[in-house]
Amino acid sequence: VNVLVRIARAPLDALELANILLTTDDAVLGATPRDAVWTHRATTLYRYRSSLREHPIPLLLVFALINRPEIFDLRPGGSLVEFLIEEGFDVFLVDWGYPDEEDADMGLDDYVCDELHWAIRETLRCSGADELTLVGWCIGATLCAMYCGLDGDGEQTAVRNLMLLTMPIDGRSSTYASWVGSPAFDAERIAEQFRVLPGGMVDIANKLLKPVTNFWTSYRRLGQSVADGSARRDVYQPMARWIADNPNFPGRAWAEWIALMYRDGALADGRTRLRGRSVDLRRIEQNLLVVTAAADHIAPREGTMPIFELVASHDVTHFDRAGGHIGLIAGSAARRELWPDIAAWLVERSHE
Amino acid sequence: VLSVADNGKPTGEDQLRALYEQAESATAQAMEDVVAKRSFGRMLAMATENVAALTRMTADLADLTLRNLRIASRADITRLARALGRTEDKLERVLQEIESLRDELAAERSKSGAR
Repeated sequence: VNVLVRIARAPLDALELANILLTTDDAVLGATPRDAVWTHRATTLYRYRSSLREHPIPLLLVFALINRPEIFDLRPGGSLVEFLIEEGFDVFLVDWGYPDEEDADMGLDDYVCDELHWAIRETLRCSGADELTLVGWCIGATLCAMYCGLDGDGEQTAVRNLMLLTMPIDGRSSTYASWVGSPAFDAERIAEQFRVLPGGMVDIANKLLKPVTNFWTSYRRLGQSVADGSARRDVYQPMARWIADNPNFPGRAWAEWIALMYRDGALADGRTRLRGRSVDLRRIEQNLLVVTAAADHIAPREGTMPIFELVASHDVTHFDRAGGHIGLIAGSAARRELWPDIAAWLVERSHE
Repeated sequence: VLSVADNGKPTGEDQLRALYEQAESATAQAMEDVVAKRSFGRMLAMATENVAALTRMTADLADLTLRNLRIASRADITRLARALGRTEDKLERVLQEIESLRDELAAERSKSGAR
């Protein structure tokens, strides 16, 4: 009888599955109200509206150069931004925008020395604070760490707390390295040909790390959940839409990233230079929180661990949790299992 | 089948599903091992280089065609956008200078006012 009911329901299930997949682009991401407070080229700095601000140290959220920063504000009830606002923080977000061919000459130095530096400056001016907390995720975390490790005028003293979420600093042992780490892979030439690496291509490369899981299992599981009535389109669709939204990666920055992360390990060794200024993670003195994910295949934990041997910070905290690169921080369990710990860490370090 | 399920034992369907998931999981692991190999990386690199070269050739051809028709092409628009970007860079630096001068002036004024 059970089987017969299943067969009778199959067309309806197929219709619902198709509907979930076809209407994914209608999912609303980044719904928390915000205002653009500064723009430069493709970069925009946003400040989230709040009447609950109680901590004097604002937060500046920085995401990767691949995918969109809306992952910080994925869906109502599942938004880190919304959670932090409710906890009384003044939240800013830097959005790198959708770079195109005219941004092909943007390098990591432009992102760290100009865009991030200026976003920090504007955050401080806008909030009236003297210090802030820098929260970086994935490549965004690496950019933040590079900023704090820059040799120079001491502008990094404005960063009181540094929070690094699933951050790669040495990717030479990752699967990516076996693809792009050999000299046979001419990243500079590819960057020159493409000018900007198409976002879709970067997405396919990411998905190829786990081909069966990404190209088949996730859809099969969705179909199964539709069949047993447990499918949650309000959870599935925002994440699926976010995953499919892939901005281009400026060619120069991409080629520099490949060399930095997968070839010479220069960041971990303190040999990186941006505009002639050395970048040494030993200069990081901020209160530091590092979050790693045990099942992270994009930025494996082993590629983050060297940071603990390098930094000069006296206040270092490490949250090592079960989960993946994105799921750990934006998954449905994060609000319960990780965000309260992050907020508690921040509250302790956000008073005057 | 139903009576077996009532006894708390897995049904035939459950067993089939478990078997399928096991096979899928083994395939996933095997594929992950395949993509982690250097030879796969080499293949991917060549494929990427070919796609990049073809993209560039197609874009150049399209640009040339449009230019010969006296129509602005993507390359022209990119050139203009770059020029705008450079102007914006300079404007941003000028704005920052003005803001710091204004801050300095305000600080000076408040200092002399306090005297």
